[in-house]
Amino acid sequence: MNRLGLTDWNGPVMRRRLARRYAAERRFRLLGLGAVLLSAAFLAFLLVSMIGQGATGFLRTEVRVTLDFKAAPLLIDRAALAGRGADLALANAGIPAHLNAAATTAYGGEGAGYLSENSWLDVRDAVRDDPALLDGKASFWVAAATAIDLAAKGHGTAEAKAAYAKLKQAGAVRKTFNAGFLTRSNSNDPTRAGIWGAFKGSLLTMIVTLLLAFPIGVLSAVYLEEYAPRNRMTDLIEVSINNLAAVPSIIFGLLGLAVFLNTWQLPRSAALVGGLTLALMTMPVIVIAARNAIKSVPPSIRDAALGVGASPVQVVFHHVLPLALPGILTGTIIGMARALGETAPLLMIGMRAFIATPPDGFTDPATVLPVQIFLWSDEVSRGFVEKTSAAIVVLLAFLLAMNGLAIYLRNRFERRW
Amino acid sequence: MSVAAIAFLVIGLGLIGWLSARTRAARFAAAADTAAGAAGRPHSLPFYHGWYVALWATVPALLFLAVWGWTSPALVTGAVLDTPAAALPESGIERGALLAEARALAQGKLAGAFNDEAAALAPAYRAAQARFDGIATVLALILAFAGGAYAFTRVRPDFRARTRVERAVMATLLVASLIAILTTVGIVASLLFESWRFFSMVSPVDFLFGLRWSPQSAVIAGQTNQFGAIPLFWGTIFIGAIIAMVVAIPLGLMSAVYLTQYAGPRLRAWMKPALEMLAGVPTVVYGYFAALTVAPALRDFAAAVGIPGASSESALAAGVVMGIMIIPFVSSMADDSITAVPAAMRDGSLAMGATQSETIRKVLIPAALPGVVGGVLLAVSRAIGETMIVVMAAGLAANLTANPFASVTTVTTQIVQLLTGDQEFDSAKTLAAFALGLVLFVITLLLNIVALRVVKKYREAYE
Amino acid sequence: MIEDHSVKSDRPAKMSARNVNVFYGQKQAISGVSIDVDMDNVVAFIGPSGCGKSTFLRTLNRMNDTIAGARVEGQITLDGTDIYNPDMDVVQLRARVGMVFQKPNPFPKSIYENVAYGPRIHGLVDGKADLDAVVEQSLRRAGLWDEVKDRLHESGTALSGGQQQRLCIARAIAVDPEVILMDEPCSALDPIATAKIEELIHELRGRYAIVIVTHNMQQAARVSQHTAFFHLGQLVEYGVTSEIFTNPREVRTKDYITGRYG
Repeated sequence: MNRLGLTDWNGPVMRRRLARRYAAERRFRLLGLGAVLLSAAFLAFLLVSMIGQGATGFLRTEVRVTLDFKAAPLLIDRAALAGRGADLALANAGIPAHLNAAATTAYGGEGAGYLSENSWLDVRDAVRDDPALLDGKASFWVAAATAIDLAAKGHGTAEAKAAYAKLKQAGAVRKTFNAGFLTRSNSNDPTRAGIWGAFKGSLLTMIVTLLLAFPIGVLSAVYLEEYAPRNRMTDLIEVSINNLAAVPSIIFGLLGLAVFLNTWQLPRSAALVGGLTLALMTMPVIVIAARNAIKSVPPSIRDAALGVGASPVQVVFHHVLPLALPGILTGTIIGMARALGETAPLLMIGMRAFIATPPDGFTDPATVLPVQIFLWSDEVSRGFVEKTSAAIVVLLAFLLAMNGLAIYLRNRFERRW
Repeated sequence: MSVAAIAFLVIGLGLIGWLSARTRAARFAAAADTAAGAAGRPHSLPFYHGWYVALWATVPALLFLAVWGWTSPALVTGAVLDTPAAALPESGIERGALLAEARALAQGKLAGAFNDEAAALAPAYRAAQARFDGIATVLALILAFAGGAYAFTRVRPDFRARTRVERAVMATLLVASLIAILTTVGIVASLLFESWRFFSMVSPVDFLFGLRWSPQSAVIAGQTNQFGAIPLFWGTIFIGAIIAMVVAIPLGLMSAVYLTQYAGPRLRAWMKPALEMLAGVPTVVYGYFAALTVAPALRDFAAAVGIPGASSESALAAGVVMGIMIIPFVSSMADDSITAVPAAMRDGSLAMGATQSETIRKVLIPAALPGVVGGVLLAVSRAIGETMIVVMAAGLAANLTANPFASVTTVTTQIVQLLTGDQEFDSAKTLAAFALGLVLFVITLLLNIVALRVVKKYREAYE
Repeated sequence: MIEDHSVKSDRPAKMSARNVNVFYGQKQAISGVSIDVDMDNVVAFIGPSGCGKSTFLRTLNRMNDTIAGARVEGQITLDGTDIYNPDMDVVQLRARVGMVFQKPNPFPKSIYENVAYGPRIHGLVDGKADLDAVVEQSLRRAGLWDEVKDRLHESGTALSGGQQQRLCIARAIAVDPEVILMDEPCSALDPIATAKIEELIHELRGRYAIVIVTHNMQQAARVSQHTAFFHLGQLVEYGVTSEIFTNPREVRTKDYITGRYG
């Protein structure tokens, strides 16, 4: 049978078949586009839902309460307001009772319930800053109770919404930027909770990580790429680094727990230990990025430098490293961004403690932003939902900025030799 | 003086050594230039002589200080315990607390004492601390001076300072790369050691093949047959290797195909960074997303359809979100593999009249398959090691079920569960976390080794 | 006999190009080329590297479409139909105008699957027996059958370079083309393998119109009936091979053939 040479390209069979093939082509292409768009939609949905929920976390609802200190003076010694003991003196001065009484007078029987349990702290701070307030009648904007806060943001129960509407009609409620969210630390009360403590913990941890991982990573990369002899030792180093880069992060947490805490007796929950653990995790990422960057510097540059009599060390430190620096920095930023978002290993070394005061040093108990997010996500109080999302927005802003910087650096300085 | 202060002093000495040696070398370099011309020029630049002396002045002294910083607290405590004021209780915890308090008092970190014993010990502490600090200062300074002086005497025109300094640089580089090995050894050793202790309490067979996981009741009732990890392994595979991959492989692969083969440069320029962003979102955010948004939606859906056993902590919620997290990873591995297929393959197929999709499905993907498979293995290894999503969205109940709407638990969830909260380090319950960690480590290691082999073989095939 | 760069026989040409220009972005790679290709005939394109001969070859089955920014002007017809006409189907065109590349590029599949690929995607066969027959026939025409008939299911990439290239030719033949374009098919091969391919080209001449790009002038002289000399994107001279090599009309052709440049 001689098939070849008999094909009728324009016959109806061939035409039908061709139409089918083109339909398949279109379907496949749409499938691909769909996959890309779906992935992008996931990202968009994630970001939008986080920002949507988190935006209100940056706002707080305040209720106005007028206190007449002349009619009902605070039981306090004015002299005590001057020194360091002011907070203690004011704490014992019975401000909560005053507030509750004033709120009840102004807004009826439920009035006291409109205020946050910790709203007296707002009054305390105002009085401490300006003791003259104690001489007369003064209006204070104090934190609203969580139920009112949620009602103001469109959630909450019908009851709370009604109360909010009533307050609003009276002009006794307002929404302001929640500066405290950025300047305070963790608290049991969502209206008082802030991320500053966790942020500072993240900062301290990242400093330790960067100081350890960057030099060690770059130096190892230089050694492996430029000087390492081909032997068993070098192979062992390479295998170690490649495997470390793929070890689950929680394993580093187990290492930190077993070695840093139990064997070396370093302090629990400290930024120092967190930084050490994350440094071990970040180091392989930096090594791999730095090796690729060094590898991409063409040998001709090395030959040229050697040719004018530079020593091998001078070749690397004067010529190769400066040329490889953008690539190394890109890898470092990506590694640091990953470390900044890391949670699991830090849970292992006890950085999940309730930290109400920001850490002042590397050995103080601390927590970090992602762990704070994790802790808040577990809170029962509805008020923490928006705080969690708001903290996520802050964390994502940092990470996106870092990743964006890395992508920019790569595009800006990537050189094709 | 504290260790840090001594270290600063030593570094200051190093700086002085650096400056003086450099000046001296510069002087004889200038002399040689005028005397004999280029032929008589010293071997090394003054800069290297400076570094040579500075290194000798600082490195031995700083090494000593590092060791000292490690050992001196024990020495100080020992000295304090030898003083007559040390009438301490024998019990470990109380004793430690008192000592710590006395130390804090002596260092001025505490304003007032809670315990009289500690207050009594504080002066002894302070004295011992002062004495040992004095010894450290003297020893460190002697080392710094001796080192610096020795090096300084060798600064001569014919001395090869650069070679010496470069040797020190090389040693630093080598030490830096050894840290990777140390880390690996540290991981393996700590996992093995703690697991060994665990297996001395619980039989490895019960652990690896047991069907009942209930460490809480094991601790309460003192039973040891409650550590069967099969439900955990199943949950890990169900979420990480099945559900997540069902989401990630088609989406990641098709995204890579579209971006490499169809998309214009504009779309590619936007989508690739967007996918990288998806990879840069921290896992705790995915976990929150899974727990807050996806899980309730899936549970309501299951309830509406009438699927029994629907839980708000379903395997499906964790798995789907994990799959989304893995998409960029699969996509970038597939992208690399597809781009590595020589353009000649594609041209060959197109030149025979294949459509683009036929070329992709029948030539490019089969050719890229080893690379894609390697990438998928790496993705699986990453998914089963992922912690936060499952901690936040998967359950704690160790169920052996194939119902994706039911709750299952995973290895990483249980590690976190076992190691947070109150710990007594010697209980089988906490040690079990290390045994789970060991299993996780071995499995991910094997997956990675196989995957890297496959990918490497594949790369070589086209180079 | 030769007028206007076209070698006319009494039959209409299988493929003919009229005044073709090719641009890559702003750069013009081919300007004003007109040429005819007949059945049962081998045309060789020669010229120094970068002269545009391969570029022009790729316009004949629209492989230039796969290069971003490439643009073709002028008219190229296959059996009188303009192949750049929107009605022309690229997929069918490429089946009818097959191509063999510079470097052998068998798919990483078995020898059998390599040859069967084309008939399968185009639906040229019904059933396994039919496909077997087409594979055997294609391999026979490519002169490879006797060497591979016992190992059809081994990987195509395991063959030697010359065998791989003949496999690629068999693969092209299997989709039943009318024209075969060969882009320096022997440049990656040793002399013995090259001789085999040249012999094969002789045998195939009776069934297909063949265009071969080569940088090897002896090869052009050995295998072709007509030769086109390209220089700097222009067709300098086109004529009967023996005349081009013995008695070129253009000075540039003469200089190239005698080795002055290129």
